[in-house]
Amino acid sequence: MASVPTAERVGVEEAAALLYREARLLDERRYDEWLDLFTEDGIYWLPIHTEGGDADPRSAISIIYDDAARRGERVFRALETPVLDQSPPSRTVHLVANVEIDRDGDAAPGDTRVHCVQSISEMRAGGPGQAGLNEPRTFAARCEYRLRREAGGLRIALKKVALLESDQPIYNLTFIV
Amino acid sequence: MAQHAVTSFAGLVDDENGDFRLHTDIYTDPAVFDAEMRLIFERTWVYLGHESEIAAPGDYRTTTIGRQPVVFTRHEDGEVHVLLNRCRHRGAVVCRLDSGHSNFFRCPYHSWVYQNDGTLVGVAQASGYPEDFDKAGHGLLRAPRVATYRGLIFASLAPDGPTLEEHLGPVRPYVDWWFDRSPTGTITMISPPHKYPYDANWKWQAENGADGYHGNYVHASWQKLLERAGEAPVKDIKRYREGGCTRGFPYGHGLLERPGGLNPAASWTGRMMAKYPDYAEALRGRFSDDDIDEISARRNIFIFPNAYLFDTHIRSIRPVAVDRTEVSLRVYALDGVPEALNEGRYRAHERFYGPSGFGSPDDIEIFLSCQTGLKADGIDWILMSRGLHREEAVDGELVGHSTDETPTRSIYREWKRLMQNGAGPARSAALTAGVSHG
Repeated sequence: MASVPTAERVGVEEAAALLYREARLLDERRYDEWLDLFTEDGIYWLPIHTEGGDADPRSAISIIYDDAARRGERVFRALETPVLDQSPPSRTVHLVANVEIDRDGDAAPGDTRVHCVQSISEMRAGGPGQAGLNEPRTFAARCEYRLRREAGGLRIALKKVALLESDQPIYNLTFIV
Repeated sequence: MAQHAVTSFAGLVDDENGDFRLHTDIYTDPAVFDAEMRLIFERTWVYLGHESEIAAPGDYRTTTIGRQPVVFTRHEDGEVHVLLNRCRHRGAVVCRLDSGHSNFFRCPYHSWVYQNDGTLVGVAQASGYPEDFDKAGHGLLRAPRVATYRGLIFASLAPDGPTLEEHLGPVRPYVDWWFDRSPTGTITMISPPHKYPYDANWKWQAENGADGYHGNYVHASWQKLLERAGEAPVKDIKRYREGGCTRGFPYGHGLLERPGGLNPAASWTGRMMAKYPDYAEALRGRFSDDDIDEISARRNIFIFPNAYLFDTHIRSIRPVAVDRTEVSLRVYALDGVPEALNEGRYRAHERFYGPSGFGSPDDIEIFLSCQTGLKADGIDWILMSRGLHREEAVDGELVGHSTDETPTRSIYREWKRLMQNGAGPARSAALTAGVSHG
């Protein structure tokens, strides 16, 4: 990353601040504002674990591989349509930790690669005895972000969430992870 | 709850006097589930996977037939074997992984080694057994019958019964047309799959894929999303969904069908042919326009008891318990089509299906709602009679309106036929004898 002037380098504190802000927007269900965190070409990606590492998302199936248009649909769906799987809606708590800048890994020029881990707790509350509701679940994930400095501030060019159980049967993952 | 007059498994499907009702116990009674595993899953043909998943000699994948752990393999001679995943010595599974490549399976307990056709080739410290120990008689047990149809691998744990081709019967032409969307008539499965579990009975998923009645309601959100994307106004989607039909077949199969044709506005295949001239040319080189009309019809085809052929994937249903099910959605490439066409299919799949899709999770919420609601078992029966008065018998199949429960009734006619082998009253305590002698 020698081409990036030191003053413009993204430091761990600045990166963490963005990740914490993202976590809070998601936990407050401010999904429209979450959309604004991404660059126009940004990708929101939940790969499925394979022995050989990440498959090329274009020629394989991911749990989620969202470009801007698909992210917009995801948020529209959750907030503005009569959706059953988010009715009742998910409550979430995102814990972000182990934030680390990776200056050695390959990233597009100008992008900063950031690793972190997240623990995402989720629950949907309903009437007593309803299958699928009222039970808190916790998802552990190793995450990779690529951050890019744009005119309006630091933005997300990639959010990759590698869930511990990505290759296992997963029930209702329709909140924004 | 009120005592009811049902005295046998078969009596749980009431298809007499011009009615069609299913008893609540079908979805909730562990004894019924146990009988289903023995009398249906361990007898009839069960779908395991596609040949392309074990393309090379040594490839294997593990799964279950009913509750029984199995591994299916490709031997060095190219043959597919389906082996019970249980060491003949003390019973440990000889393969714990999901899939992989190995010509041998070594039991982790005492290191007995089997070839991938089941042959026992090694007994550790063999001097502990007599010299004439019958190694040949202690291979991994093979499923008595294994057969493939156009690359789809099925196995039956019953030594006799209808052949796979007899079992598929009149649903075969529809399966053929489904494959013939590929100009080479073949598919290649891609990995990894989507998987989801749900805490409800396996038959909710079996019924729902060919149910054309729920879409306007359960998927109202999806229809709004398509409208927002500029793909079609909701009123047009609803009108389109009036078209097509449902079909029911012997041996429990059924399908939901939307009209095909070359009109890009009406048919996916028509759209793809317009978008990819090479694809259009390849299909036209092999098929007449009449054939293409059939090939391009969109169909969700249920193959009893556990498989669905969908436009983007093959779905398999794995019953775990009366109120627990796991479903795998394995996406395939259509062979011989432009790469961009398949890529478009993968992105379309992710949009609707899987744990984070815009369609599947809505369906699953309904399965859970049904399982919870059926705890109100003061009502004995659920209704499965929609369209019974208007479906027509045509050439060995029943054809109903696109919103009729014709395919589901086929499931339960076969269910009843197979479950008749288990006698006895339907309540748990009384069932055991009937099941074990069934």
